[in-house]
Amino acid sequence: MVGVPVLGLLGILEAGRSIRAPLSVSGDWDLHSDPTADCANPPGSLQRQLVWSVSQSGTQAFITLHDGYATTLKATIDGATFTAKSSSGAIAASVVATIVGPLDQRTMKGKVTLLGCAPVAFHAVRRELGSRSE
Amino acid sequence: MTLNLFHLVLQIAVILVAARLVGFLFQKINQPQVMGEMVAGILLGPSLLGWLAPGVSAALFHPASLSYLNALSQVGLVVFMFVVGLALNPSELHGYGHAAVLTSHVSIVAPFCLGGLTALYLYPRLSDDGVTFTGFALFMGAAMSITAFPVLARILSERGLVRSRMGTLAIACAAVDDVTGWCILAYIVVLVRVTHATRPAWVTIGGSILYVLIMLFVVRRILPAFEREFRKRDRLTDNLIAVIVVLVLASALATEWLGIHLLFGAFLMGAIMPKAPEFTRYLLHKFESVTVVLLLPLFFAYTGLRTRIGVGGGRAIWLYSAIVIVVAITGKLGGSMFAARLAGMPWREAASLGILMNTRGLMELVILNIGLDIGVISQAMFSIMVLMALVTTFMTTPLLEWVYPARLFRAQVDDIQKNVA
Repeated sequence: MVGVPVLGLLGILEAGRSIRAPLSVSGDWDLHSDPTADCANPPGSLQRQLVWSVSQSGTQAFITLHDGYATTLKATIDGATFTAKSSSGAIAASVVATIVGPLDQRTMKGKVTLLGCAPVAFHAVRRELGSRSE
Repeated sequence: MTLNLFHLVLQIAVILVAARLVGFLFQKINQPQVMGEMVAGILLGPSLLGWLAPGVSAALFHPASLSYLNALSQVGLVVFMFVVGLALNPSELHGYGHAAVLTSHVSIVAPFCLGGLTALYLYPRLSDDGVTFTGFALFMGAAMSITAFPVLARILSERGLVRSRMGTLAIACAAVDDVTGWCILAYIVVLVRVTHATRPAWVTIGGSILYVLIMLFVVRRILPAFEREFRKRDRLTDNLIAVIVVLVLASALATEWLGIHLLFGAFLMGAIMPKAPEFTRYLLHKFESVTVVLLLPLFFAYTGLRTRIGVGGGRAIWLYSAIVIVVAITGKLGGSMFAARLAGMPWREAASLGILMNTRGLMELVILNIGLDIGVISQAMFSIMVLMALVTTFMTTPLLEWVYPARLFRAQVDDIQKNVA
């Protein structure tokens, strides 16, 4: 009687090994972009925001900028493609990037576009993964 | 961040007022006070206050100001888990034989397996590759299996069912469920933390075994001295109470250092305390008041501030929530009910037992917070599971009244008393 549920659970765990979850992007990211690019100065302060905090739930994520305006970008993860658009705050922006590297050395390469400005290339590196909390 | 005492005291005052007020309103609709306190926490978070009045919410509960609130609520939880362990009495299982053993086992195994099965669907949708499927599925199973022992005891007490066959069986099964659930959760925490920890796995695993052996075979033999002292004076001195508090903290620190979690140490210390009824009642009275009135509402509020019911997830989140709630009820209520029926209980009592076992309450919130802290569940999964905990706890009292009305129970008790006379 004990064996059946144990076997069932082992079967579930075995079946789950082949399931792929979305790439993890949660945590704090250090952002590097060209400071001489257009709109790099206020009010286009997105590029100067050197740290992004990303909170992820599956394929959905939120980028929070600690910019004093509580700017939040709503993001989606589709394979290795990361796209985001601002959903609140003072900055109207969008991000398109590619997620690269293994879990413990994850980086992103892509472009940030501020309203009325030309897209600016950036490179972001995730800080060391530990126990996640808010 | 420096401590802003005014802000912290204001937060505590607002939380306590909200907890007592909503708790009072919930009592008016025959719900346990603790259910209202849990809901008050959610109402103060982004699910309501943050949605209706984001400015007020940001000023009152700015994320940067929550670390002290969290610290206080964690201290409260340490004491509360000691109280939960203290109230557990494994000897209550004796005398219920087949029904208790079968029901308690099925009430863990059925929701655990269904939780694992649900994980196959939810893992690619609500998790990420930073969490292994094994960790996610085992956590889902453990979170589905838990029964809120303290809330269950309170509901039984309020309905006068504590000494009924069904009530004592429910308490016995909930006690087994809690111990099993916490053991499974300890394993999951070790499994997840070992992946990221700097400490070697053998230190955590070997140290945990050594810690449990010391608690069971050394500390447990010293603890009856407290009970002897209590019997002599009919009370414990403040110094002895302080020694018990230090022992609880030392045990909690040991498990935290080992990489399990603070709360396991506090729970185990309570579980191995002497179980003489007068001694247990005395300690419960000493520890419960401040914890239940002051510190637990802070935990509910902190949980509520981390919960975003329906925020930002679209329709899919509601679908996932419905799936989780149905699976949780089917596994726990259905599993317990059929096991009790198989063991020979009448349908009405078996169904009532299933309803009681389905109460998840604040024990579920404790487990979910651990899951979110160690990163095994995402923010959305956390919110979905909190919703499930609220629904399963809320439905207990009305469903029990429907299946096993108080008048029916009272009539049966009267019949038994007449027959005895």
